[in-house]
Amino acid sequence: MLRAFDFPREYHFPPFFTRQTNVNTHRAQLEKWSSLILAYCAHHKLYKLSLSATAATNNNNNNNNDESTTGGAEDLFHNRKLNRRLSTADAREVLEFMRKEGRAEFVGGSGEGGGGDVAWIYWKTPEEWAKELESWVDETAQKGTVLTLYELTQGEDTRGSTFHGLDPDLLQKALQVLVKRGKAQIFGQEDSQGVKFF
Amino acid sequence: MFLKHIDLTTALRPSYLDGEALTFVQDNVGLYEGKYKLPNQQKGQVYLTTHRICYVDSQEPRKHSVALDLKDVERYEFYAGFLKSSAKVTLFPKPAKRASLQSRAAAAAFSPSSPSPHSSARASPAAPVQATSATWVCTICSFPNPVPSNFDPTTANIHTPLPPCLACGIKPALTHVLKASINNATSRQAAPGVTSRPLSGFSPLSRDTRPTADGVGGSSPSGADFSPAASTSDLNTGAGSGFQCPRCTFENHPSLLSCEICGAPLISQEVSSSSMAPITPRTDSPGPTLTTGNVTGLETPESVKISFRAGGEKIFYERLKVCMVQRKWLLQEAPPIPRANRAAEGDNGTLSRTGSGAGRTKTAGIAGLEQMGLDRRRNNELMIGTSFEDLEALMASAKEIVALAESFARQVNGGSDNATTEANALLAESASQLGLITTKDIVGGGSGSASESLYLSELSRNLAEFLTDDARGVLKKAGGVMSLVDLWAMFNRARGGVELVSPNDFEKAARLWEKLKLPVRLRTFKSGVMVAQSRDRTDEATVKALLSWLRDLHDIPPDSEVSWDWQEFGRGVTAQDVAERFSWSIAVAEEELEMAEERGVLCREEGIEGIKFWENYIDTGEYRKRSRRPVTENDRILADLKAAGLL
Repeated sequence: MLRAFDFPREYHFPPFFTRQTNVNTHRAQLEKWSSLILAYCAHHKLYKLSLSATAATNNNNNNNNDESTTGGAEDLFHNRKLNRRLSTADAREVLEFMRKEGRAEFVGGSGEGGGGDVAWIYWKTPEEWAKELESWVDETAQKGTVLTLYELTQGEDTRGSTFHGLDPDLLQKALQVLVKRGKAQIFGQEDSQGVKFF
Repeated sequence: MFLKHIDLTTALRPSYLDGEALTFVQDNVGLYEGKYKLPNQQKGQVYLTTHRICYVDSQEPRKHSVALDLKDVERYEFYAGFLKSSAKVTLFPKPAKRASLQSRAAAAAFSPSSPSPHSSARASPAAPVQATSATWVCTICSFPNPVPSNFDPTTANIHTPLPPCLACGIKPALTHVLKASINNATSRQAAPGVTSRPLSGFSPLSRDTRPTADGVGGSSPSGADFSPAASTSDLNTGAGSGFQCPRCTFENHPSLLSCEICGAPLISQEVSSSSMAPITPRTDSPGPTLTTGNVTGLETPESVKISFRAGGEKIFYERLKVCMVQRKWLLQEAPPIPRANRAAEGDNGTLSRTGSGAGRTKTAGIAGLEQMGLDRRRNNELMIGTSFEDLEALMASAKEIVALAESFARQVNGGSDNATTEANALLAESASQLGLITTKDIVGGGSGSASESLYLSELSRNLAEFLTDDARGVLKKAGGVMSLVDLWAMFNRARGGVELVSPNDFEKAARLWEKLKLPVRLRTFKSGVMVAQSRDRTDEATVKALLSWLRDLHDIPPDSEVSWDWQEFGRGVTAQDVAERFSWSIAVAEEELEMAEERGVLCREEGIEGIKFWENYIDTGEYRKRSRRPVTENDRILADLKAAGLL
């Protein structure tokens, strides 16, 4: 259903997969990796990226979520054609860099380089998602109505909107932003939550 | 012209003449002319060589460096210094030139500061030197005979043909004639000669020691020995009125060398006529070097003093004494030994290297080469044979023999080891050229640290010369960069195992390059590797060379199949590749690559094949601009649009 991701030029450049020692070059390398990961995740609608999965080229064990939202990006860090791979340590460094830029967050504890192997990739930050939700609600004139979270991400109505298929945890984060602003209210049980927009 | 400007080498040392050798160096000296200090020559180094005393100024070496020829020095004095006055060596120049010779000297002075031949028609270089005014007194009949015009005491040997006595026909002994001509030469040297000619003593221009009585004159047997060059050049002198013999007043034809009646040598028309003209005072003489500075303009200063402010005067004085005794400059322009005529009888001068081209049998191709080799061997054989016959002859032809021995040594060296023939040749060449090596006993100086630093600075200059010498091309062969260790090894080998330089001194000397503003520089890489490279070789130039090579690789298909787009990215190069390409050593190549990487021009790729370096396509600069400004709303919208566009 998706056309193949267009990798940037650097992806075909063998030294791109080696950590650069020159500070400036390294900085540029991190920037390029960062934008590559964001673009890749956006293209494949990945919300989480698992380092171990990408490093081991095996993502089956990580698909414990309802949707395959966690990184199945075996070809992201591994260029099979070149037979070059970004090492796990270097990939973690990239994610750490992205975390500082506010474009990633490690799942389960955002400690210094710690946490797990899985990280949120914010190709849109929760704030941005919140904005998207808000404007969708505005456009469809559903202010004041109650929607289930399932409806929001999987329902027929949202098909075609950007947040269709959004990871539930990420949706929660986005809604929390709206709640804080007083634009929404969440209620209900764990598995059947609803949200009301104001 | 007592003090002259000198040429300096790249390392700001005097460039030596042929056969000149350094004997002593002392720094921190000043020059005096008479009682007065020379304003521009107050701090510098003095180089005593076998031929000259050179002063090289510290501040403006190219401008204020001067030299004086030892052959112009009449006498020298030593002053030990008293209280605040430093020790001095005073040099007195030979007395002013005689009036009759001044026009000639002036003519010589017009050719700027070099001992080039005079331009007057009569003065073909050979003619004045070969004519002679010396006489030898026959031991049998006491008849004073002229010494043959082609007799040269510095090269004569037992087989030099000597004409018999004009009166009794008895052949003189070689030593007899030798003595006579040397006597004449020494007495002539006291009087002013032509400055540029070491053999000026035999010049026909002198009048005072002219033979008092002479034989039949023009038809003397020695006339046959006049070199063709001399006679032809004489014929070229313009005609014109007759020329009066200075002794017997006979009007001779202007082209004659000696008087037709009394046989007295004649000076040329031009010279004699101008000598009669009113003589301008020498201070006004407009020699070209006069304009370059007042120092060199001092025609015949009363004296020149060298003031030793940092010691070393005693050694200088001792060495100066030796140099003045040895008088090596006499050898400097001595013509090669005349080929023994005995052997040449058969083939009529074909052996003679100095023989005119016309007299030579013209053989071409391999036969010609063989002939040449044969000739050379025969010449050598002859020379060795004659030279060793008696001690006197050996001494007379010492210069030739030494040269021959050196060439033999070189041949033997080269032949023994084929694998390193080239290196050997280089070394032999270097060693012979390194006659000017800096040794600890050459440099003077008082005590401890002063002499040490002088030694180091001289060594430093020496090294710079060694590196930049085009003939040897040491640096060029190493691709412009040479690690200090390699250089040290090579330099010590070139010294032939004498006066080796310790690594410590060597490093210190290399560090001085920067300070002494020499054309080479010492560079220390990040890893501590030290290399020598020429000053104009900057990092920028290296980076440029590397980049252009890497760009070339975009067009050259790699040897094996590669997975990336080589037309777009070229390929990665290892230090080994770079070393081969630029003929650097591997260590140097590594360092240069890392330097380029540090500048962000290259980037690295670590793989199983080792580290490869690529042109930097990672840091293309677009991110640097963005990262400087804070993330704005605009950026966010752009990012959104991008994300949306992908959907």
